[in-house]
Amino acid sequence: MSGRDYLGEFEHIVILALLRLEDRAYGVTVRQEIELRTKREVSIGAIYATLDRLEAKGNVKSRLGDPTPERGGRSKRFFHVTAKGLAAVNRTHRALHSMTEGLNLIRSHS
Amino acid sequence: MTSQTPRPQPPRMAVWLVSLFTPTEEAESIPGDLLEEFSQVASNSGSAAAERWYWHQTVKTVVHLFGAGFRVAPWSTLAAVIGGFLLHRFVSGLPDKLLSAVTDRYLTFWSTHFNAYLWVLKGVLIAHLIGSMFVGSVIAMAAKGREMVATMTLVLVLGAMAIASLFVIIARIGDASFPWFLPLSFADSFAIIAGGAIVRTRRSASTPRLSNS
Repeated sequence: MSGRDYLGEFEHIVILALLRLEDRAYGVTVRQEIELRTKREVSIGAIYATLDRLEAKGNVKSRLGDPTPERGGRSKRFFHVTAKGLAAVNRTHRALHSMTEGLNLIRSHS
Repeated sequence: MTSQTPRPQPPRMAVWLVSLFTPTEEAESIPGDLLEEFSQVASNSGSAAAERWYWHQTVKTVVHLFGAGFRVAPWSTLAAVIGGFLLHRFVSGLPDKLLSAVTDRYLTFWSTHFNAYLWVLKGVLIAHLIGSMFVGSVIAMAAKGREMVATMTLVLVLGAMAIASLFVIIARIGDASFPWFLPLSFADSFAIIAGGAIVRTRRSASTPRLSNS
């Protein structure tokens, strides 16, 4: 495995959302989870573009669920993080931690 | 007896736009996710808010899918665009060559039937558009799964060239009068996109749904 295999910022956020959602992770829930926690507006296209990239790198895997009527008979595509994806999250976390260690990032506005 | 109110439906044009840019492997998930969330927004905030939400998501999603489509297969998309560009150069010259041949041969006829000549000129314009639509269809057939990415890229290239030509004309001649070729260039681009959209729509309609297989 390449030592440079770090996650991009949005890839990192998406993988963390998958880990939080566990077996309920599909497009709608991932998008809503990210909006809820980061207060950042994201499109479903951005979520899938990132998930497809992560799947191509082997960091996540997907499977199709059963079709449901509220989706016009279309299936959900569920995602889960692979062992390689988990390792990439940990590596990225360690890199961020070591880069921020000792920095005073909190500014007082008083 | 219970009366069922019809479930609100997302804007058809927006649904069609998303389907044009959605890769085949996402044909279930992306439209399904958008419809599911549209229903949630409609039940919480009403149909008008849900339609606004859907259009907003459509625009952002199409931009992302366009970029992602190019990143997934840059070389084959580029090859389709270059091939399309060369084909467009060849095809767009044909109606003019045909017009020159016909006018040269029957010069005396056209000089006495000027109205007929004007109709032939309109025919040449229509032939231009049909040619561009043909080019869009060929590119879309070559770039399977990324039909709209390839046709839109060609349109962007041609648009950039048209604008560059405009600047060159203004710089060389100093004439900033109405650029006569811009409406034709715009119609040309529209015909290329229409050709790509027709192929994409037909291809999507003939693709079996994953959830039914």
